[in-house]
Amino acid sequence: MTKFPLLFAQKLFIALSILFALAVFIMHQYINGIIETNLYTNLGERAQIQAKEIAAIPELALAVKNHDLKAINELVSLINKQSDASYIVIGDKHATRLFHTQNVAINVPMVGDDNQDVLKGKSIIIISQGSLGQSLRGKSPIISDDGVVGIVSVGYMLDRLDELHKIQSYPFIIFCVLLFVVLFVFSYIFSFLIKKQMLNLEPKEISLLVKMQSAIMESINEGLIAVDLNYNITHINQFARQFLNIPKHVDNLNGTNLFLYIVSPNDLLRNDDCLIEDVYDRISHFNDEVVIASRIRLIFNEKIQGWVITFRNMNEINLLSKRLSQVQQYADNLRALRHEHQNWLATLLGLIYMQRYDDAKEFITRQSTNNQQQLDFITDKIKVPTIAGLLIGKFTKANEMGLELQFDPMCQLNQIPDKLIETEFMSIIANLLDNAFTASLAQYQKSAVKEKKIVYLYLSDATDEYVIEVSDEGTQIDEAVKSSIFKLGVTTKTKGDGVGLYLVKTYTEKANGYIEVNNNLPQGTIFSIFIPKEYDCL
Amino acid sequence: MNIDIKALIVEDEPILAEVNAEFVQRNTNIKVAGIASTLSDAKIMLEKFNPHLVLLDNYLPDGQGIELFDYIVKKNLSTYIIFITAASDMDTCSHAIRHGAFDYLIKPVSYERIAYSLHKFKLFLLRQSSPKNLSQRQIDELFNLQTKDFIETKKNTKGIDALTLQRIQSLFINSADELTVEDVTHKAQISKTTVRRYLEYCIQTNFLRVEIRYGKIGRPERYYKHIAV
Repeated sequence: MTKFPLLFAQKLFIALSILFALAVFIMHQYINGIIETNLYTNLGERAQIQAKEIAAIPELALAVKNHDLKAINELVSLINKQSDASYIVIGDKHATRLFHTQNVAINVPMVGDDNQDVLKGKSIIIISQGSLGQSLRGKSPIISDDGVVGIVSVGYMLDRLDELHKIQSYPFIIFCVLLFVVLFVFSYIFSFLIKKQMLNLEPKEISLLVKMQSAIMESINEGLIAVDLNYNITHINQFARQFLNIPKHVDNLNGTNLFLYIVSPNDLLRNDDCLIEDVYDRISHFNDEVVIASRIRLIFNEKIQGWVITFRNMNEINLLSKRLSQVQQYADNLRALRHEHQNWLATLLGLIYMQRYDDAKEFITRQSTNNQQQLDFITDKIKVPTIAGLLIGKFTKANEMGLELQFDPMCQLNQIPDKLIETEFMSIIANLLDNAFTASLAQYQKSAVKEKKIVYLYLSDATDEYVIEVSDEGTQIDEAVKSSIFKLGVTTKTKGDGVGLYLVKTYTEKANGYIEVNNNLPQGTIFSIFIPKEYDCL
Repeated sequence: MNIDIKALIVEDEPILAEVNAEFVQRNTNIKVAGIASTLSDAKIMLEKFNPHLVLLDNYLPDGQGIELFDYIVKKNLSTYIIFITAASDMDTCSHAIRHGAFDYLIKPVSYERIAYSLHKFKLFLLRQSSPKNLSQRQIDELFNLQTKDFIETKKNTKGIDALTLQRIQSLFINSADELTVEDVTHKAQISKTTVRRYLEYCIQTNFLRVEIRYGKIGRPERYYKHIAV
């Protein structure tokens, strides 16, 4: 058996009802007790006062002293008419009953065994068993010149007391019941409202939601800031913190102003339309960083409470779209390749079918011939494996860029200059080639006639010099700029750091070589580097 | 040729592997010790057979063939590799060259090219095994062999055309001037890159010599001058 699970609002309602019922019950008990005590005290005192007053009547004292029953009867009967007491009893100094308003036997000892203190001269209030039953009585001694001569006992029957008590309690009980009903209704409404406020969710669900929400906010790779109407931060996620360079030790940002961290005036944040409309994917600036941001109003109870700002780094998006377009390009290439492949296989099948085997062989071999020839050429001429590897890599790179790296047929290299280590010599060649590629590619993109640009490499150690010559079909370099291009930090590229040619110059000079920069015809530049084999001979 | 050369073929396409193996055994008399279709099989067989030569395909189901280079170095094996890779993957090829592959073939490989490569390898092993004390010339030969220089290609002829050479040489013979590349380009109407090749060739053949002068702005300039006989 599965227990029927109580919803939070129901639990709250039940708990509240029980609490209120308990409170009302305790209150009732308490008040009831007070009423009862008051009743007893009041009646007791009333009985005592009456007893005292009766005892103080001189005629009565005289009558009691003389055992004048008739006089007592007359006196007390008169008083009794004015009193609400259940009974009045008069006794002599031996506690013998002399008179009783209820016509109980006379000249017998008074019932209750509570007269010793009274006979000593004290008035008392007492509850005890009398001849008529349980009663609350006030007793007072009758005192004349020669001491205590008798006892006055004024009694109220407890039955009557209860009756009185009940009469006094009824309105209170009604009040309690009404109170309970009101509280019951209140707790019902209260729990209903709570339920509504909590969007019908259980507290467990809410805490899970809160945790989940913060986990989501921290995990998304997007900046997220919630602010109130005064642009004080109410929530900020990790990405946004990092992006805005908010140090880790600033633990609690809640309540601090957003403009402490976004300094420059920002049209996204301070906008006339802020209160009216949401903004999506607007290019904006956060501290000189370009972001794509959205600003969404936080509306609660039909009133704007603030905004949620989400943003992404523009550069990342650019990178992403670039990558995506590359993927697209790869997919296109692949499709083209597959098509080509099909044609290829069809041709092959045809040749085999017609038994033109030599043609088929040649047809297949042709596919790899160019690369194989380049490979054989390089490894044949360039005997330094690292340089050969570098050149093959650059050859491939050129192909990928849509350029062609042509090796001069007279290329040869048996070893590298003594004064340079391998990586330095490689650096010279690699930087020259990379520059040539970039320049040629830029020219290719600019020119109207789409001809494959050729980068030419001549690398030789056939004479007593090493000669490295790289020519491209990019732009020509102005005479004025020529002397500065080798300086550190100087670059003509949009994305260069100006290190490449500086390294080329540094390493060349280290090996006592020199550089010539010439214009290529009809366009482009030729870098020639000459490094002597035995620099001592110069 | 009496050395028994053991070869291992690493190729994941079974038919191709078999054809290759048959080709190797029939045409070059090299014994095929085994065919491995995965990288891990290749490693096991390498240690088991200790072959002289591996015909290594780069694309394997469980990794790249290029990893075997490191494995051989690590295990200190005396095995040479002829590396085979797809035409689209020249980058890996440059990697293989740096790691000292004996030869590098590009798929689809022509069987003439394989035969040429295997022939070279046989010569290489033969020469390596014969004399105990190698002379410098022999060492040079060995190295040249490994880098494919053993076929005496007619050096310095490819790329040098007799007529063009004559045209350039005549410029120097007819005048005592020293000429720069610019001058020669201008006078001979040949592209600068070609001119450089010819001028350097002329230096190589002791027809010209180079003088370096520092120009107006301190940049060195090369002047080529005829060496009068």
